[in-house]
Amino acid sequence: MKDIFRVSRMWRPRGELKKRYDVVVIGGGSHGLATAYYLAKNHGVKDVAVLEKSYIGSGASGRNTTIIRSNYRTPEGAAFYSRSVKLYEQLSADLDFNLMFSQHGHLTLAHSERAMVTMQERAEVNQLLGIDSRVVYPEEIARLCPQINLGPRQTWPIQGALYHAPGGIIRHDAVVWGLARGADRAGVEIHPYTEVTGIERTSGRATAVETNRGRVEADVVVSAVAGWSTLVCGLAGVRLPITTHILQAFVTEPVKPFLDVIIVSAQMHVYVSQTDRGEFLIGAEIEPYTTYKSIGTFPFLEYSARHTLELFPQLERLRVLRTWTGLCDLSPDYSPILGRTEVENFHVSAGWGTYGFKAAPIVGTTLAKLVATGETPDLIAPFALERFHTDELVSELAAAAVSH
Amino acid sequence: MRIAPQPGERIDRRKPFTFEYDGAKITGFEGDTIGSALYAAGRRVFSRSFKYHRPRGLLCCSGDCPNCMMTVDGVPNVRLCVEPVRDGAVVRAQNVLGSLDRDLLSITDKIGGPFTPVGFYYRTMIRPRRLWPLYEKFLRNVAGLGKIGENGTHRRYDTEHRRVDVLVIGGGRAGREAAARAEGDVLLVDEHGGGGALKGRALGIYEGGLVPVDAGDVLYRFRAERIVVATGGIEQPLVFPGNDLVGVMLPNGVRRLTRDWSIKPGERAVVVTADDAGLEAAGDLRAVGTEVARVVDLRSERIVQLAAVGKRGRLSAVLVDGEAVDCDVLVMSGGRQPAYSLLAQAGARVEYEPRRGIFVPTELPENVEAVGSAAGDLEGAAVPAASYDGGDGKCFVCICEDVTEKDVKRALAEGFDSIELAKRYTTATMGPCQGRLCHLQSIRMLARETETDEAAIGTTTARPPWGPVELGLLAGRHYEAMKRSPLHFRHEEAGATMMWTGAWRRPFAYGDPAAEVRAVHESLGVIDVSTLGKIIVEGPDAAELLERLYPNRFADLAVGRIRYGVLTTDGGRIMDDGTVARLGDDLFYVTTTSTGSESVCEWFEWWNAVWGYDAEIVNVTGALAAVNLAGPQAREALGALTDADVSNDALKYLDAKEITVAGVPCLALRIGFVGELGYELHCAASAGEHLWDALVARGAVPFGLEPQRVLRLEKAHVIVGQDTDSESNLLSAGMPWIVKEKPDFVGKWAVELVEERGIRERLVGFTMDGGLLPPEGAQVVENGKSTGRVTSSRVSEQVGKVIGLAWVRPERADDGTRLSIRIAGADHPATVTLAPFYDAEGAKLRS
Repeated sequence: MKDIFRVSRMWRPRGELKKRYDVVVIGGGSHGLATAYYLAKNHGVKDVAVLEKSYIGSGASGRNTTIIRSNYRTPEGAAFYSRSVKLYEQLSADLDFNLMFSQHGHLTLAHSERAMVTMQERAEVNQLLGIDSRVVYPEEIARLCPQINLGPRQTWPIQGALYHAPGGIIRHDAVVWGLARGADRAGVEIHPYTEVTGIERTSGRATAVETNRGRVEADVVVSAVAGWSTLVCGLAGVRLPITTHILQAFVTEPVKPFLDVIIVSAQMHVYVSQTDRGEFLIGAEIEPYTTYKSIGTFPFLEYSARHTLELFPQLERLRVLRTWTGLCDLSPDYSPILGRTEVENFHVSAGWGTYGFKAAPIVGTTLAKLVATGETPDLIAPFALERFHTDELVSELAAAAVSH
Repeated sequence: MRIAPQPGERIDRRKPFTFEYDGAKITGFEGDTIGSALYAAGRRVFSRSFKYHRPRGLLCCSGDCPNCMMTVDGVPNVRLCVEPVRDGAVVRAQNVLGSLDRDLLSITDKIGGPFTPVGFYYRTMIRPRRLWPLYEKFLRNVAGLGKIGENGTHRRYDTEHRRVDVLVIGGGRAGREAAARAEGDVLLVDEHGGGGALKGRALGIYEGGLVPVDAGDVLYRFRAERIVVATGGIEQPLVFPGNDLVGVMLPNGVRRLTRDWSIKPGERAVVVTADDAGLEAAGDLRAVGTEVARVVDLRSERIVQLAAVGKRGRLSAVLVDGEAVDCDVLVMSGGRQPAYSLLAQAGARVEYEPRRGIFVPTELPENVEAVGSAAGDLEGAAVPAASYDGGDGKCFVCICEDVTEKDVKRALAEGFDSIELAKRYTTATMGPCQGRLCHLQSIRMLARETETDEAAIGTTTARPPWGPVELGLLAGRHYEAMKRSPLHFRHEEAGATMMWTGAWRRPFAYGDPAAEVRAVHESLGVIDVSTLGKIIVEGPDAAELLERLYPNRFADLAVGRIRYGVLTTDGGRIMDDGTVARLGDDLFYVTTTSTGSESVCEWFEWWNAVWGYDAEIVNVTGALAAVNLAGPQAREALGALTDADVSNDALKYLDAKEITVAGVPCLALRIGFVGELGYELHCAASAGEHLWDALVARGAVPFGLEPQRVLRLEKAHVIVGQDTDSESNLLSAGMPWIVKEKPDFVGKWAVELVEERGIRERLVGFTMDGGLLPPEGAQVVENGKSTGRVTSSRVSEQVGKVIGLAWVRPERADDGTRLSIRIAGADHPATVTLAPFYDAEGAKLRS
């Protein structure tokens, strides 16, 4: 409480770049900052610089729809995100910064029998890992979310849903700021408006990064740049099997509380939640074409509105206030690429598609451990870049509904 | 207070409208808005602010600011200043506990200030964690503005597509002139209409010259060769203590009240202005009898102190450099900022001009032009100070979000020192006005506090839409694509339970699925398979194309024969399956899964183009009906309806033949997905019902999708997408026999890689030892860990067991291996069965 009467700096003003750091983290988003934070906190590695080409949290960390959950399809994915949710639950206290994590529950709707099977499969995988996740039917959906349109006249009647009670939303910018403050207090240097333009390599090792503010040597370089992963890793000569797409979202004008749970419909490519400020936050599926250009499209607004009203016809007169786009780095199996690359001391967090923000704390802890100890934690071993060479994919890409 | 009729007023006093506000009847005239009618009736407080619940009154009268938002007929956040009066409207205040004039939540303004500085919620309510949900509930309840009604209004919205040569956005002088100058098919849109303009608000400029226009019930999607932006300028407020008090207005507020609606805004006014707009407002005020006590023209008079003081949130006096002037209206004008948002969205750059203190658009995209104030054609305004001192009242930078000067300074001191960070931390510019009245002020303040200039601070990204737009309008009329088979109405007439399968609606069953299964096994059944994808591939290279697309062989397929094929992606993953019939040397008839027809067709076209083959590919799915006649009596029934020889010699298993059935020319494919003797009959969609009727009349029992699933599972036939997923390959799915030795096919390298490294999982059949049915999606477990999953499971009367398909570790894939399947928390034994559960040799199919 005393904190609110006292103005205290969140982080030091940006200083000069040193010539050399033990670790250089490229990307001042939730992953980069979490990695730096846990390097300092868990491993005492404090000679770390986080280089961000714009302001901190300017990329995917500040553009996602803030949903945190762990009800994934593969055992590898579910176990990984389950740890992430647990870390998120403690993170406000750890950082002494209220991230406003509200676990109101998460409903993934099934509009077809096939989708119900997918939900069933996820529930079974989740339960084996001790994750609170189960299939619910319309009567219970009506209790959990009385506002939703379960009427028979719906184009895609809701047959059931996967209910994940610990799922919730969080204030995404606060995650970035809290981690930045924590990292800064532990001695990490944060350098916004510092763009990496080159990565030097000598005999299979990254030795230095070139930036718009000069050259910096490093023992270890970590890339955590989401949508720009292919470009940054390309500077190090690491090719990633990743395509970059845009994902769009919008908010409406604020209204009084109407919806507590998060509603997701994969069939209709829409997810809906209401923030603590009262805005509805609505997102869609990634656009199918590849681009690095963050430009929104109008059809997105049209179909998202249509699908939202299919679920909540009451929102017909609610007004859209602002739309935005972010870049998503998509891997072939929809699972991340996390850990070592063929360049010995160049590690990567990439390929997150639309799931990256949910993983920030667990990426931070595991990457920090890899950097500090040189050992790949078991939890992230399945997500190694190497899997695309050994063909050991981790498919989060649930099969499309197909019928004979 | 309404004054005597004025020349040029925009109201028609002969046409009164009456609406209800807080139980009272209020009358306005045609041309009035609900806001102006309420003002004329004496209402001054129109809303309570977002955070501090301060009283707010009319400010801009242009629909920009949040001050006049109320709930009208159950619709929240309606801006009353631009909402036309109408009879019977029910208007309610929102976001108040009590009434607009006595709002209990205004306690946050009086004593809450020190406890609720910017970002206070990030620093409090952290421990204990279990109390956060309680705090949060409170926060949620006090946040937000209006309430969503119980039901939608079911308004009808339409979308119209239009093409024009030139689209002019904004009907002010510059816009009208540009429209008059332009050649070709020209259209002018303006938010207020009039002067031949279409009434509507352009929402954005998107790629390809797409300009959606919000015209209330109609969304126009304009495509224009050239777009002229004449959106004008936005009057800017000044930042000083008390600048949000009721009675503080922008010049346009005064202009509309006095000139358009003939309302006297108050008794005594003060004007503080950086441009002529304020002076004009002073003239307007005098014309309606308001005394103008003091005019401060910032261009000629340098002031240091400016503050407004009020009683109960309403303006009572203005302090200018120590001099107090009693008044109830204060016109503030900080000059106009070009409304460049549409241009910036279209790709223009925005640059700061220190001389004029405004941001102007530059480097416009090729097909976009800016004219008038929007282009920066604004002269003669002073650059006001970032803020003025003078009192201890709150000094607002952003009125939507109640962000004060103190908040911005604190954010800076805490390290949120870029415009983007400060925006997100203070939430300035993120409210309903989307920065129209606060963006420039935030930049100015940041520039001053960081001792840089506005150019260095820069702007935040302009994001569409340019003005809030209703979800209903964006959605338009609800058209969800639905596909119906040519036999759809026969199924409905027969009382089938329909279900969704992709975009198709198909019969689940007509009655008892088990009875339908029995009919197929014992006598005769018929199922509508019109939903199968049907593709014709024809041309000199047709055989070669298919040969390279599929892992198995098609070049050697004899005319009149059929072969099952599985398509794989270039990563060797199973993509789709179906049959391929060779109808001629250069002519093939390919079927796909029901959901796969479009993607397979595209896939064929893609590779046809890549390889440069000469083959025509036509998707005839919608043109043809198809039924599968199956059961021991199928030949007999078919024979009775055709003159063709359908004996087992003339129409063997996997033969394709054109025959006439019940007078309908059909392509008969002798295949067997369901495990009994069967014929797929494909015919013109228009003849489908006749064929169906004839077959049913011959005693065929219609069966639905559910019995078909049981039947195919008895044969362990795989459903792509159900039993396989995006990682399944041919070897792991137990189809190594599909892969043939040949120089190339799509995905060959991947199959070879799998051969080399071995499979990691294997699709197998299983029977449950007990009678319990595992749900599809159930997990195969070893020591409490998931090692596989059930993809299909059914009770089979024919087999007398619960049967299914599951993915298991290759080490557990041998015939007879015992498995554990977790069902509702307990493990149940099952046994791997590699052969089909029914008629393993396929004798029935060949009989």
